[in-house]
Amino acid sequence: MDFEHLANALTLTNLALALFGVVAGTIIGSIPGLSATMAVAVLVPITFSMEPASALILLGAIYTGAIYGGAYSAILLNTPGTPSAIATTFDGYPMAKRGDGDLAVAIACYASVFGGLVGALALLLLAPPLSSVALAFGPVEYLWLSVFGLSLIASLSTGNVLKGLAGGAFGLLLSCVGVAEISADIRLTFGSSTMIGGIEVVGALIGLYCIPVLIDMVATPERHLKVEEGGRAVRFREGAAIAWKSRFNLLRSSIIGTVIGILPGAGGSVAGLVAYSEAKRTARPGQKFGEGEPDGVMATEAANNATVGGGFIPTLVLGIPGTPPDAVILGALLVQGVRTGPTLFEGGGSIVYTFVFGLFIATILMLPTGLLIGRYAYKTIVTIPKTILVPAVGFMTIIGTFAIRNSISDVMIMIVLGTVGWVLSRFGFAASPIVLGLILGPIAEQGFVQAWIIGDATGNLAGMFFGRPISLAIIAFTILSLVYPVIQGRRARRLIKTEAGAND
Amino acid sequence: MTDTSSKSAPKDIGTLLIASLFIGLGLVTLQDVSTYSDTDSVVFPTTVAYALIGCSAMVILASWLRPNPDNGFGGGDWWRRILLVASMIAGCLVMPLAGFLPATAIAFAGGLIAARHEGWDLKSAFVFALSGIFIMAAFYALFRYPLGVPLP
Repeated sequence: MDFEHLANALTLTNLALALFGVVAGTIIGSIPGLSATMAVAVLVPITFSMEPASALILLGAIYTGAIYGGAYSAILLNTPGTPSAIATTFDGYPMAKRGDGDLAVAIACYASVFGGLVGALALLLLAPPLSSVALAFGPVEYLWLSVFGLSLIASLSTGNVLKGLAGGAFGLLLSCVGVAEISADIRLTFGSSTMIGGIEVVGALIGLYCIPVLIDMVATPERHLKVEEGGRAVRFREGAAIAWKSRFNLLRSSIIGTVIGILPGAGGSVAGLVAYSEAKRTARPGQKFGEGEPDGVMATEAANNATVGGGFIPTLVLGIPGTPPDAVILGALLVQGVRTGPTLFEGGGSIVYTFVFGLFIATILMLPTGLLIGRYAYKTIVTIPKTILVPAVGFMTIIGTFAIRNSISDVMIMIVLGTVGWVLSRFGFAASPIVLGLILGPIAEQGFVQAWIIGDATGNLAGMFFGRPISLAIIAFTILSLVYPVIQGRRARRLIKTEAGAND
Repeated sequence: MTDTSSKSAPKDIGTLLIASLFIGLGLVTLQDVSTYSDTDSVVFPTTVAYALIGCSAMVILASWLRPNPDNGFGGGDWWRRILLVASMIAGCLVMPLAGFLPATAIAFAGGLIAARHEGWDLKSAFVFALSGIFIMAAFYALFRYPLGVPLP
């Protein structure tokens, strides 16, 4: 690694590719239904004729831009553009509803840039030593990691923990629908041909998050988001001041995102939730997470963008994709004839280091472009009359779901699931646990079945599930995540009672 | 004589019904897994079904003891909600016969009518219809050409 690689990354072509990638990624990621994976996948063919390092820079820039772009729809439409932005809806949408959507978008941009830079720095400095930690994770650890993710979202989302857990189990069950990957048994379709293809995650995500918002929007004549009168100035400085005040939250969330990004399969959704949970756990007095707290948006967005750099560590060093977009990028590299693995940093180090510097540049470029696009995205969405916003978003949900695998069944499932999600949400069953259950279902099932087979064969089923140190640590965190909010709630109620008694 | 009915909070029927449906879904799953040929595809859904039944039973118990009065469908026009969802489903059903754009036009029109609370006149109908055609054409072109999605 030397300045030659930095100079290679700073060529006019690479700068232009980084800029184009960030802008394209941000725009695609902001459209509900177009995930970061899809943004990267649809633009991969452009890179086949490029130099490998330039191709990687473009794909990395699209990826990082799309992860940030997912925050727009999460904040302004309560619909995470990507699963990584699920926790952004918790505080981003309440902020937008009270008229602080522009501030939330600005904060999301600062946090995304900071998180992205931390992730890229980790990729540059820590790739080989950290990748060995990921190697220690076996199938059981991935199972418990999935359960941990579900327990976190159950305790964090609105409604109560029990309803969150029931929703998570419902999501896990939905992930089983269709042809089983392991044995090709057709499961839970009840004879319906529509269900044979299974429930497509992004389509379900669009339905569960977007359709309930549309159903609520049409029911009443009130505006979708509060609009401040008098043409207020853009709140870049205010956002920067808030981000600076919470710099420790930014740093902690970025580190969490980087570390979780390194774990293959975990990805930005788990990273965002863990970072959000930590921010909530260490909240200052007066901070109200879930009701429009800027620190919530900051934690999630810093963590999910940090997974970009973190996810590249196992992708490039081990050839194991850290996140789904990494899998697409890995495929693109194989087409280029670049073999990833431990020797890549030595034999083809030039490609890797030029790419890492390119990722730094793309992330820095995200600051001006993100703020600019964010400003117009906010102003556009906030001023569009409901009469046109509802059918336009409805149309995008249909076309976005259809585009994933050209299936009308997926669109039908999306609408039905969205309507069911609306009914459930009205009775305190939040959408997030169901969505996370669907996302983590395949990972959890693979870990569960593998552990079951090994445990059954060795006659030590309990030891397989509960006997490994890393598993035990994750189980302890899972129990803590479920019990801690209950203890905290009781403590708060006791405090209120004591204060009320003292006032009497 | 004290009025005991005024003291007890009304039951959260919706939550009780949803949790009961979840239990039913868990039982149906347990019935469905008995038809699978391979044990590997049985163990996970079985475990999840038991988890769903257990959690839902606890939800019923918790909701019975401490019902949440805030739960419910709330206000708003039901015909608009139904029109929105029905037009989207109708669009899906028609899509294989009519093609993508005419089918989604049904969903778009349904959403437009459902979302318009200010009433209609000739001018507004013309403006919104034109805007709708432009938005649909723009997104169709974006997906069909640069993104290469084979739309029907």
